[in-house]
Order: sequence, then structure tokens, then C-alpha cells
Amino acid sequence: MLKVSSLSKTFALEQGEIRAVDDLSFQIDPGEVFGLLGPNGAGKTTTMRMVLGLLEPDTGYAEVDGVRTADDPIEAKSRLGFVSASDGVYPWLSVREMLIYFADLYAVDLTLAQQRIEELSAMMQIQPLLDRRAGTLSTGQRQRVTLVRGLIHDPPVMLLDEPTRGLDVVGVQTIFDYIDHLRQLGKAVVVCTHRLDEAERLCDRFGLLHQGRQKHSGTMEELRSETGRQHLVDIFVDLLRDERSSDLLQKQESI
Amino acid sequence: MSSLGLNGRLIRLCQKELKETLRDRRTIVTLLLMPLLVYPLLSMALNRFLLSSAAADSSATIVYKVGIESEQEGLLLSKWLEDPRSQPPEVISKASGGAVAKFEYFNVAPETAEEALFNNGVDVSAKITAEKPPTVTFIAFNGDGTSQMCQRVLSERMHWLRMRLAEEAAAASNSGYVRPADVDVTDVGEPQDTTLLATIVPLVLVLMTITGAVYPAIDLTAGERERGTMESLMASPVPRFYVLFAKYTAVVIVAMLTAIANLLAMFTTLWAGGLLPLLTGSEGFPWMSVLHILGLLVLFSGFFSAVLLSLTSFAKSFKEAQAYLIPVMLLSLTPGMLSLMPGVKLSGPMAIAPLVNIVILARDLLSDGADPAAAFAAIISTVVYAAAALTIAAKLFGSDAVTRTSEQSISSLFRRPKAESAVPSIQSASLMLALLVPIYFVVSNGLIRTMQSLSESLSLSNQLSLNAVALIATFGLVPLVATFLGRNRYRSTYRLRPFTWVAMFGAFLIGCGAWVLAHESFVIANAMGIGGLDESRIEQALKTLDAFTQVNPLVLVATMALTPAIIEELCFRGFLFSALSKVLTPTKVIVITSVIFGLFHVLTGNALLIERFIPTTLMGLILGWIAYRSGSVVPGMVLHFTHNALLESVAHYHKELTFLGEQIDGTESHIPIWILLPCLFTAVVGASIFVMATRNKPNQLPT
Repeated sequence: MLKVSSLSKTFALEQGEIRAVDDLSFQIDPGEVFGLLGPNGAGKTTTMRMVLGLLEPDTGYAEVDGVRTADDPIEAKSRLGFVSASDGVYPWLSVREMLIYFADLYAVDLTLAQQRIEELSAMMQIQPLLDRRAGTLSTGQRQRVTLVRGLIHDPPVMLLDEPTRGLDVVGVQTIFDYIDHLRQLGKAVVVCTHRLDEAERLCDRFGLLHQGRQKHSGTMEELRSETGRQHLVDIFVDLLRDERSSDLLQKQESI
Repeated sequence: MSSLGLNGRLIRLCQKELKETLRDRRTIVTLLLMPLLVYPLLSMALNRFLLSSAAADSSATIVYKVGIESEQEGLLLSKWLEDPRSQPPEVISKASGGAVAKFEYFNVAPETAEEALFNNGVDVSAKITAEKPPTVTFIAFNGDGTSQMCQRVLSERMHWLRMRLAEEAAAASNSGYVRPADVDVTDVGEPQDTTLLATIVPLVLVLMTITGAVYPAIDLTAGERERGTMESLMASPVPRFYVLFAKYTAVVIVAMLTAIANLLAMFTTLWAGGLLPLLTGSEGFPWMSVLHILGLLVLFSGFFSAVLLSLTSFAKSFKEAQAYLIPVMLLSLTPGMLSLMPGVKLSGPMAIAPLVNIVILARDLLSDGADPAAAFAAIISTVVYAAAALTIAAKLFGSDAVTRTSEQSISSLFRRPKAESAVPSIQSASLMLALLVPIYFVVSNGLIRTMQSLSESLSLSNQLSLNAVALIATFGLVPLVATFLGRNRYRSTYRLRPFTWVAMFGAFLIGCGAWVLAHESFVIANAMGIGGLDESRIEQALKTLDAFTQVNPLVLVATMALTPAIIEELCFRGFLFSALSKVLTPTKVIVITSVIFGLFHVLTGNALLIERFIPTTLMGLILGWIAYRSGSVVPGMVLHFTHNALLESVAHYHKELTFLGEQIDGTESHIPIWILLPCLFTAVVGASIFVMATRNKPNQLPT
């Protein structure tokens, strides 16, 4: 459903070049939840932007439901749903108007869009909010509106960027339910996060990114047998330690 | 997706933007509240101003208060002033409205005349001495218009009285006095006064329209980013242009609503205040003018909204957008002020100068009608500017929501990077250009002033040398500093690459022939009236040419050919060329560098030498092509040098060259065909040789 093959992206910065994503490949099937994990700066957002067709990869490609993002970004985007923790709302529009606006952006037929808004808002319990001004919503309410918005065009692939950031227990539980729901609907789901404990509970398979490279990938079982560690956190601690010691080694060599 | 579906969708996208901005309280404030408040206030101020300036020549009689220190002085003064002979002759009183001022006398005792004046009781105080004849002293308050006017009227009245009495005495004494002539005045033609109001009205409307558009423009672009909706917007499958077009439509509509609200408020207040006749010259409500101005404001809204969006799309936050907009608003005041000046007409460059043309057109429509051709030019050019700005906006909008490099701040433009790079970044090139313009302006102006003040002591050779030094200091030094600060490798930045000697020979031959092209394009441009060379300019040019014959040819070649060839090539076909090649196709690089090259030659000192644009841009195109094909800056230098050297030699030896038949020193004559053809032939041969020599490696641009 979503296929990423040998994606690489290098940024030219003042300090020199940064290899943000280095030869990354993974594939996600319908009904599967894939966790793209890594500390800040590991290359998660860059990967996501390349999948969304916002950035052009240097090498490799991303294929959404059989459409390569570089070939037909508009078509690829229409088969993707995107939800980000930093998503805002239009404060002066009502929730319903905002959802219709996004339905229009995704070229959903107006009557179909209204029907979907009813269904989705029943599911996410935002019916009473539909005619409220979006600027008056609480954080939790806004989060649920954003989740509804991502599904308005019924995409086969969903991208969730740090979906639990800044949320309380209730908010996080909402996300868990939502992802469960997506799994049942047979969506291919990518969750980008640095909250490893949450990811462990949420995802079926994992890709562990560090400095743009995929260090480990597989199900939790596979990761455990590969690394001998029980938890994702421990695996990452090992990765960071390796890096530090190799840094130290380099420094000693240069002395 | 059917086109109809897209249309419906596009309309809904526009509706959303409009809803969003019209529900915002801040939009409503500028849209409705401002005009409701501003115009009555403005009208009151205008009323005062217009009435007080109109009072001087209206037919109403003015009564001045005159202070005197004693009853006798008052009687004496009133006796003089009541005398009909103290009144100005009819010719003069008619010119000032026909009214004769009246005076009231106040005995200010025990205050002195000065004190009374300071205590603001009277307009003027008068003192009369007891001698024979007495001396009248009028004491007026400095800096008070009424007091000064009263003083003038009083003095004049006293003079008229003296003159009439003298005239009568002269006639009575039979001394043979004869009046030199009687004076009468007849006015013909319509009274024509483009009132200040006719210019202020469009200017205020334009400014108010700007104010109305600014907030929605920022809110709908930079605001997207601040609200955190930009990323989801960019992730949606809509071409960026549609999103921007919807925003543009919303901004234009808000701007237009603001314009209409302002127009209505303004004309209503003017009408209510009885000021309309001053504006239009007739009593009725000027529906046609209002409609015309409305049309212009629609045009203007379309133009300015596009400009605003192109700027705000660039900004990442509200604050940043405001920082970009303030200079633009101040800048747009300057042409507005220009249009306030009398005698500025909607013709030539004024007809296509953005903003100025609309204000002048509105002024003309309000006062005495506009020239249709110029109006057409103004409208078309404004539409073109709007389209260009919108294209830029669409390119910029959301583009840096996705790139990491945009996280650099402005200050990073000035920081020296740690890593070396091959060629300058596009930001560093634009910054270099942005600095080069004012530096060049200051240096070339300073140079001209120095030369003018030293023209006696400074020989032409020295002047030319000074010119060359200035060239090195600007076009040489500024890019050099940019290269150093940007830590760019000099070889690749300046494109100091190997070249073949054959290619160089080809370039040399082109240079040998190209000077005739430069000369001819100059003559043709002049003949078409593009150049705008007036007599004095030509005379000056001929004088310079004359002076050139006195200069040592080596100095001439070194300063006018060698230095420009090296410095300008390094700047334009080196630094700028390599920087632009990083992001643009070769054709675009060549065109853009040559246009910039041409523009810099137009901007010389304080004057705009527009006639230089076409030849230098053409030359820039040739040089750009040479630079692109050879991959090096050097063959272009050879061409540039040969071209300049030949032109200057012609100038130096133009007296010796008169045997060529026609004089070729002037600016009007074509080159004789028997020189033109061989030169062109040489250029074509040179071009062929050059093409052959660079065939194998036509493109060595850096990647």
C-alpha cells in the first residue's frame, strides 16, 4: 500500500551538507501500523515530507497505493491522509466549514463530504462541536477535529506525525482508539514519533531511524531477537552509546 | 475531475478565504470603522484649510480689528480709511474678489499697542505721531496670517490715498501732469485650476485601499503558517496556484469593499460638507467620476493585492510580514507624493510607473479628463504588474514550509559560513546586488560632484582614471567581498576556467564587428524616440568626444576599455552568472544577467540614461552567450575589451575619420554601409569560429 524505496535526501546547510535521510526503505500493507521511530533530527519529518511529495528525494522513491509521489504528486497526495500534532485550525470558521474546506481541497463531492462528516463526527464524538467556531475549541476537541479532517477523503494510507505530542492521558487514549479504528478499516498507517513507549503499544512493525539511517526494522519480536533487548528504549540507548563511543574513537584517532 | 467540478470547488475555496477574513474583527475595523471616522475628520480639516484659503479671494467682506491708543488717533485713521480715494482701483480690487476690507477700531488704552496685539485682542495696532506730516506705524504680529494681511491692506490703503491725493494735486496745479495710461483687464478662457483636492482624493483612496488589503493579505498567507495550517494545506492535492488564487480573490474583494466604503464615505462627507464643487467644479453629485474612480480602485486593488501577497507569502510570521510591508507602504507613498506635484502628466514613463499612473489617472478623471492612450497604457501595465506579482506569490507561497534551509534567519546572510562552496548562493547574489545599487549610486554621484567641482584642475585623463577607480571600487570590490564572506572558491565563482585560444580568437573577431551593432542600435533607439536624447545631451556628448581627441589613446583604452572589460565581466559574467546558474536554466541566466547589466548602465549618477539600455542589454546577451558556451569568463573579456576599445578609438580619432564620408561621431548618423558590412561579416566569421571552437563542450556550468 505504501512503499518507500532507497529514499535519500541531503540538505546543503551553511555548516556543510547534512544527510537527513540515507537509503531508507520500508513497505506497509493494508491494516498494518508502522512506527517510524527515532530521536529528534533522525530524519522522520524529512521522510514524511518526501512521502507527501513536499520534498523531492535525491534518490529513491515513495509509492502511495501504486502512485509514485514524484511522478504525480497531486494523485499521490489525494490517496494520503495527513495528521500532525502541530496542525492548527482556522479560528474564524466553524468546524463544519473547515471540514468542508478540506473536503474541497481533496476534491470530495459535496454531498459525500457532508455524509462523511456526519459519520466521522459520530465516531469521534464531535457532533456538538460541528457548528462552533474553531477558535473556541479546547486542545482535546481540536485534536479530534484534526483526526476527523485527516480521514475526510477516506484515504488508503494515513500518515501521523507525532500524533500524541502535547496531549494528556485522555488525548493519548483517543489517538490509540483512532489508530485501532484505522487498522480495522484496513488502512496502511505510518506513525512518526519519538515516544518509544507509546509506539511499542501502538505499532505492528517498527523502523528505527538514527542520523538518517534505518538501524533496525521488524516486529517487536524480531527486534528483540536481533538486539537481545526487551524494549525499544533500551535498543535506542545502545544506538546512542555506540555513536558516542565511535565519536570518542574518532577523537582519539585525531589526537 | 470535470472542469465544472473544479470551478465549483474553486469558488468554494474562495468563499472559505473570504468568510475567514470577513469574520475577523480586525478586517472589519479597517473596512468599515476607519472610513466612518477618517473622512469626517479629514473633511473638517479640509474645510478649515479650504475656507481660510478661499476667504482671501471670496467676495465676502472681511472686517479687521485695529487697535489704537487714543480716541484722536482712531478718528484720524478712520477718516483716512473711510475716504473712497484710499480704496484700490477697480482693476485691482476685482482681481482679489472685489471686496473692500472694513476696519473696526478699538481703543486699547491703558494697554500699549504692542500689548494689545500680544493679548490677541486686535489684528493690528496703529500709532500715529503728532508731527506734521504724521507718521503712521502699523504693528503686526509676525507669523500670524490675518495680522500680516491686515497690515498689508492698511499700508496699501494708505499708499493709494497718498497717490490719489498727489494725482489730484498734480492735476489741479496745472503742472502738465498727464497720466501715462489707463489700465483695464479682460480675462479670456475657462478658469482652470486642478485643485489640490482632485489629487488628494485619489491618493487618500489609494492609501485607504492599501490599508484595507494589508491585514487580510498577511492573515491569509503568513497567518496560515502561524496557525499551523500550512503543512496540511501543502499536503492536500490542490495545485498551489489554486490555493493562492482563492486567497488573492479574497484579498481583492476585501480591498475593493474597503475602497467602496471609503469612496462612499468620502463623497458623502464632501457632499455634506459642501466641498464637492471645489472638487469637480459643478454642483451636482459626480456619479460618473465616482464610477470611474471605482473602476480604477478595482484595478488598483487587483494590483496591490498581488504585490502584497507576493511579499507576505515570503514571510513566516505575522511579524515578519509586517516588517516587509512597512517599507513597501512607505515606498508607495513616494510616487503618491510625486503625483501631487503640479505639472506631472500621464505620459511617457509616468503612464507605466506602478501606483503613480493610477493616482494621476484618477486625478485627470476628476479634473479634466484623461488621455485615452495613456489611460490604456496605465491599465495594461498595471494588469501586467499584478500578474507578475501573483506568479511570484504562487511560487513563494508555502515553498519554505517544506525546506529546511529556510530556517536560516536574515542574519545568517551576513555570517561567514564554515564550509567552502563552489559558487555563491542565490541569496548572497541578491544581497550583493541589493548592496551594489546604493553603493554604485553613491559612488557615481560622488564622482560626478567631485568632477564638477574640480573640473578646472582635473585633466580629462585624470577624470577617466578616477572613473576607472570608481568602477573597480564598486563592481570589482563588492562582489569580491561577497565572495570572501560567502567563502566561495574564487576560480568557480568568477568562472576563471580554461578556454581554447581559437574560441578566444572568435570572441575577438566578434568584438571587432560588434561595435557597429552597438552604435546602430543606439541610433535606431534614438530614431524611435526611446532614447530621449535632447539637444543639450547631444551637445554634451559631442563636447566629450572633442575632449577625447586630446587624451592619450593609451589612457583612453586602459580606462574605458580594459578596466570595464575585466571588472564588469568578472561581476556580471563571473559572480552573477555562476550564482544564477545554480538555480536557473542557461537561457534565463543569460537574459537576467544582461538585463541587470543594461539596467546598471542606465543608472548613471543622478540621470537615467535610458538610451543606453538597449545597446548594453544586447551586448550583455552576446557576452552571456559567449560566457555560457565557453564556460569561462575570459573570452567575454576579450570581446568586451575589443568592442570598447574600438568604440573609444572611433571617438578619439573621429576627426581623422571624417574621410569616411559622413561624420560618425554624432548620435544620429548611421555608419556608412561599406563599413557596416565588413564589420558584420567579421562578427559572423568570429561567431562561426567561436561556435566551432566550443562545439565539444558547450556546457561547463557548475552543477
